[in-house]
Amino acid sequence: MTSHTHPPSPTEDEAQSHHVDEREGRSMTDSLRILVTGAAGLVGAEVTARLAAAGHRVTALVHRNPALVRNDGTPLETGAVTCLSGDVTKPRLGLPEATYRELAAGGLDRIVHCAAITDFGLPDEIYQAVNVDGTAHVIELARAGGIPLVHVGTAYVCGERDGSIAETELDEGQRLANAYEDSKFRAETLVHKAQGDGVRAAIVRPSIVVGDERTGVVRDYKNIYVVLRLTTEGRVRSLPGQYEARLDLVPVDYVADVITEVTHRFEEAAGRTFHAVGAPLTLRDFSDVLAEYPPFQVPRFVPATSFDVARLPRRERSYHERVITLYESYFRRRMSFDDAHTAGFTTRRAPGNAQDFLRVLIDHCLESGYLGRSPADVTEAPDRPDAPGPGATSAGNGAGPAGSVRNGAGR
Amino acid sequence: MILSEDYLQNLWDKTLAHVPSAANCAVVLEGSIAEGFGNSSSDIDFLLIADSDADLPTMPSLLFLDGRRVEVRTRSVRQVAEQFSALTSATHGDPGTIPEDLLNRCQRLLGSFPLRHPDLVAKVKGLMSFDDFRSTAREWWAHHARQSLRYALVLRELGQEAEAAAWTEAGLLQAVKSWAAGRGETYLEPKWLPMQLDRLGADPLSARFRVLASLDGSGLDPAAYVTAGALLSADLGVAGAASGSEHLTVARADGVTTWQTGDRVHVVRGRQDVFVLGDQAARAWRALVFGRPLGAVLSAAQASGAPQAGRLIAQFLRFGLVKAAWKGEGPIVPALPLAAPPGAVTPPPSAARPIVAVGGAAVGGAEAIDLVPVPARRFSAAGMTLVWSNVLVENAREDLVGALDREQWSVAQLSARRMLRFALRGVLSAYGVNPLPPDSEVVRALSLLPAEAHTEEMRAEARCLETLTIASVAEGGAAVKRLDRFVAQVRHATGAYSFPSSFDSSDGWRQTLELGYDWLRLGAHLDADLPIDEASDLLSSGGAQPHVATT
Repeated sequence: MTSHTHPPSPTEDEAQSHHVDEREGRSMTDSLRILVTGAAGLVGAEVTARLAAAGHRVTALVHRNPALVRNDGTPLETGAVTCLSGDVTKPRLGLPEATYRELAAGGLDRIVHCAAITDFGLPDEIYQAVNVDGTAHVIELARAGGIPLVHVGTAYVCGERDGSIAETELDEGQRLANAYEDSKFRAETLVHKAQGDGVRAAIVRPSIVVGDERTGVVRDYKNIYVVLRLTTEGRVRSLPGQYEARLDLVPVDYVADVITEVTHRFEEAAGRTFHAVGAPLTLRDFSDVLAEYPPFQVPRFVPATSFDVARLPRRERSYHERVITLYESYFRRRMSFDDAHTAGFTTRRAPGNAQDFLRVLIDHCLESGYLGRSPADVTEAPDRPDAPGPGATSAGNGAGPAGSVRNGAGR
Repeated sequence: MILSEDYLQNLWDKTLAHVPSAANCAVVLEGSIAEGFGNSSSDIDFLLIADSDADLPTMPSLLFLDGRRVEVRTRSVRQVAEQFSALTSATHGDPGTIPEDLLNRCQRLLGSFPLRHPDLVAKVKGLMSFDDFRSTAREWWAHHARQSLRYALVLRELGQEAEAAAWTEAGLLQAVKSWAAGRGETYLEPKWLPMQLDRLGADPLSARFRVLASLDGSGLDPAAYVTAGALLSADLGVAGAASGSEHLTVARADGVTTWQTGDRVHVVRGRQDVFVLGDQAARAWRALVFGRPLGAVLSAAQASGAPQAGRLIAQFLRFGLVKAAWKGEGPIVPALPLAAPPGAVTPPPSAARPIVAVGGAAVGGAEAIDLVPVPARRFSAAGMTLVWSNVLVENAREDLVGALDREQWSVAQLSARRMLRFALRGVLSAYGVNPLPPDSEVVRALSLLPAEAHTEEMRAEARCLETLTIASVAEGGAAVKRLDRFVAQVRHATGAYSFPSSFDSSDGWRQTLELGYDWLRLGAHLDADLPIDEASDLLSSGGAQPHVATT
């Protein structure tokens, strides 16, 4: 087994940041005042940790959960970050007027907008409130204070387009697969409009955010992990999909690094969009890797035209209706995300071999006990698709492709 | 040495007559005799060293002189220097990666006896420090000992005590070779170990080794022998193989994948060999969670309905389907240096016939781990074709019945012939025939099948059915009955008697499609040829047949 070690400590991050900036010929000794929305989320917490470690004065906007926990489970030192209780769905981000006024009146050098609802299958109004209205409220603050904005979107604003997706493309008349994608598309459209009105912004679009590139460690077993568990345990045996379809899994640490670097070097990033994506993985690659694990059932991928939910066994049908339908679209898309902007901008190397990375993720799931339960345990498990494994810190019944950027500044 | 220098000089003079280009080379005697061992049947191994940068051939010359086998190798000074340099580089990494031949060549030169140009010999020997070399040899043997002893612990945990004791014997020998190498006795060949130990003089450790050198001589039972072996090895300086199971686990064997069709579990090794597992073997296999303690894996396997899980998992290890591992230090790779190269065992192919059934490969019993006697791609292509042949039999039968309803006699006759041929495609596929002959040849192609297939009756009936005429309701009805009987006979013979009749019910059709997708999944992994075009049509037709009943 691969031995697992912890990600670099903040001190190492800091050292790296200094190194990077020295190469850029800039000094990182200038401490920036940065507001991070969604700072309790998976990506938000990692970005906050990196910015704080680099010596910036970070204000973390959190909704319900004031505890900031990094991806590896270690809490963020409270002294490093100022936590503000707020709500992006409300005007002035739900902050007291004085606080808001202070932020808008020259109190910030950057806003990093990570807050979003990424769970699937929720009522439309929640996506509207958090993802669209929330972004509008953040834009208002950016506009009011003339504050540079780093907006975290999703690569899946491409909707159901096939082929290569450029970072420069947004509205190509595509069909959006669900309310989540639709809301993120509209949020990004708002950012573009605001840019036209003089708001300075850069956009980072992660794909499906999963565990650490090197260790596979992930704080929350959500979104794709739930599908992975249901299929490998044989609770879902057939998936409507095509072997040629591509999933794009991106390590959380890579996404956080890209966002952090865009924030640091905003002057160069302004007005641009960056795909923070992994190497594409076809469902056939996915199937081949699953087959390497003796306990795993490998799902059948059935062409959508041949797939009939009504013919599934009762229990599988229930899982299908509650979980799999939320992801169906991802099992038939054949897009690939062009990340030329990111490759030309960031100093971190893009994630490599997608099959190897999937192995790292699965090996960690086995180590933590999230996957690899004995058939007897699976049978005895409660009939809930989102039942967490022994090592799971939380589980939802699905999350959008940007995975765990869902956070406390939402709902 | 058992031979005098004069004798050797004289022998070299005789040898020189056969290798004239060696006139200006330095010459050494290397091997067992040079080391002070050997006997009357030992070979004479001369190494010629040319003071040049030349690229001299590696293959030795073989001569028979004075009743002895004489082997002459050649190396230039540059080649010797490169050899030592390669060893030094390899020493900085994992000692287990040092090639045995490289270590052996370096050792033999360092331990050689000079016969010509001793100055040049001393110069090349000076390219490597003997102290460094013996330290490398000690680490190399220790590495192998550790692997053997760990593997013995794995086998003991799995209840394979006799084999565990055999690997402990191997590990102990390697451990004592490591200990001896550290004391300067670096000659690799294990058969001279007793003389090496004698030369090192009395020592409590070598005395303990002599007692434990073999299970039989030790007077211990195999399990106790494994424990005693681990203890002595630790005292001999081989750390990291302490008795106890907490470090033992299982790990991925590269290129091994698991594919289930229906309820049958197949394990594909290196995209080439297919092992089919009986029910209990499959349960044991499914319990192999990488990284989990071996004891927990074993308990889970037993609890899942594989009481003989230890024996089965040991067999998976031998066949290279999974690896044993030492937690935190990766796979355990047991090997016997200077013996057969390590690697997976391949059992003889299964004799179960027919080879492929609709639900997967034929299997010899609940605990079977059978090697399917055809390569993976052909197996998968034959399996897919078998399933689709059966589907197409159903399809052709529907056409036949429809044509009879309308009294379309020639259409009915063609449909009857299609039904026959599809059934026979299934028979041929069940015996691993792939690709299939053209449809017009399938009746004659039954002659390809082995005698034990007992196809005489089937062939006779097929020949009659192929020339069947249908020109009336009565003939049509008789043809349907005869063909149904034939299909039932064929399905029984090919293990497809449980094949779901796709037109009986929607459930039957769903099962058919699922089996088809199971086979396609394996086929996609292996890039196998997809069966007949109709199969893809059926897969993409929305899962519903035009004639399918909706009950």
